[in-house]
Amino acid sequence: MCAIAAPEVFGSDEIGNAVVLVEGDLPRELEAAARRAEGNCPERAIEIRE
Amino acid sequence: MGMRNASLDEILNHYDIFDDDFVSDPFPLLDQIRESGCPIAHSDQNGGSWMPTRHAHIVAMAQTPEIFTSREVGVIELSPESREGPYGGVRVPPIDSDPPEHHGHRRAILPTFAPQAVAKYESITRDLCNRLIDGFIDNGTADAASDYAQRIPVRVISMILGVPFEMEDDFVDWVRGVLETGLIDREVGLQSRMKIITFFMQQIEDRRANPRDDDLISDLLRLEIDGQPVDDIFVLGACNLMLIAGIDTTWSAIGSSLWHLAHRADHRHQLRDRPDIWPTAVEELLRVYAPVTMARIVAHDTEFEGCPMHAGDRILMAFPAANRDPRVFESPDQVLLDRENNRHVAFGAGIHRCAGSNLARLELRVALQVWMERIPEFELIDPADVTWKGGQVRGPRRCMVRF
Repeated sequence: MCAIAAPEVFGSDEIGNAVVLVEGDLPRELEAAARRAEGNCPERAIEIRE
Repeated sequence: MGMRNASLDEILNHYDIFDDDFVSDPFPLLDQIRESGCPIAHSDQNGGSWMPTRHAHIVAMAQTPEIFTSREVGVIELSPESREGPYGGVRVPPIDSDPPEHHGHRRAILPTFAPQAVAKYESITRDLCNRLIDGFIDNGTADAASDYAQRIPVRVISMILGVPFEMEDDFVDWVRGVLETGLIDREVGLQSRMKIITFFMQQIEDRRANPRDDDLISDLLRLEIDGQPVDDIFVLGACNLMLIAGIDTTWSAIGSSLWHLAHRADHRHQLRDRPDIWPTAVEELLRVYAPVTMARIVAHDTEFEGCPMHAGDRILMAFPAANRDPRVFESPDQVLLDRENNRHVAFGAGIHRCAGSNLARLELRVALQVWMERIPEFELIDPADVTWKGGQVRGPRRCMVRF
């Protein structure tokens, strides 16, 4: 789901598990996308730390 | 029969998921349970079950597989004949696998359903949707359920398995025999199950003699889990899974979505004018019409949110109820095709979250997009004539529209 909501931030590996594509701090321009992914995760597995 | 007018006490203690009212419109009943003082109801019907209805409870249970096991996932008890017969070991891995076996079973099928892997089915799905519409567009009417929705996932699954499309009517019969009729008529359930097993035993024989490069059955026969080749019972189970999990689930989602669009001109126009909302629209339709309810079996006596649960108790994971929980979703009963935050659990949660969700999403999106391109305006001929089936998987089985 995160890979659909924020394809710039999340992708998936060869078995479909989510992976974070961004290294280090999240660039400001991707913050909205990352928040969208956070708000769409049924598992509440995404946490954005300031 | 007739739960619509039942008292709250009756609903909380005697709900019947096969009741006609519950099947045709479960949401008022689910809302009553969720917003009562007893959001985890317990019914003595259909062999007895608990039914959590709040999003937080369902997710918590799904994330605790050591207590809420998947040794059975049917909404009513498996018949002893299907559990103990000569092929009693044929299950639906990894849906009904528990740890520690679960991980290997799930790992075995995940590559087939990864986003990159399912992308190759998009153009084929589009073609087959167009061909189905070619078959009825000149009539001016069609059954959106049986002429269209029902025929899409079964053909995609046939392609993945490497079996001919001519099996489509048999597959649909067998799957409905297991998941619909068979839940009530055990004899039909058992016969349908045996037809599936017999068919795939022949397919396995055939692939063993003539292995192919590009079908799932051949891939499964080459598979090793923890360095050991898998046995035929596992391969039969995985093939069984493709039919049981891959056909009437997605077809129900497509059918419910078309039923929705048939009576919501505003949403048809919104999709036409703003094609950029397709991704959120698909998620929203999955949220409000989540077709699937799965069960869990309690491993040992425990208390959950004040409810005394006993080893062997059945829990009905009412994903459709969770998806309309006002604690998680603003205006839960409104369908907002551009909904931004949507933590729906149409695919479940935890280690058993649907392994085929990427394929299901693709099929649902393409089926709806092709329909809307070809038939932008359509309506129900008679809303009262739409028939629904439910229990384990809910969706329209007859949905006549004109255009």
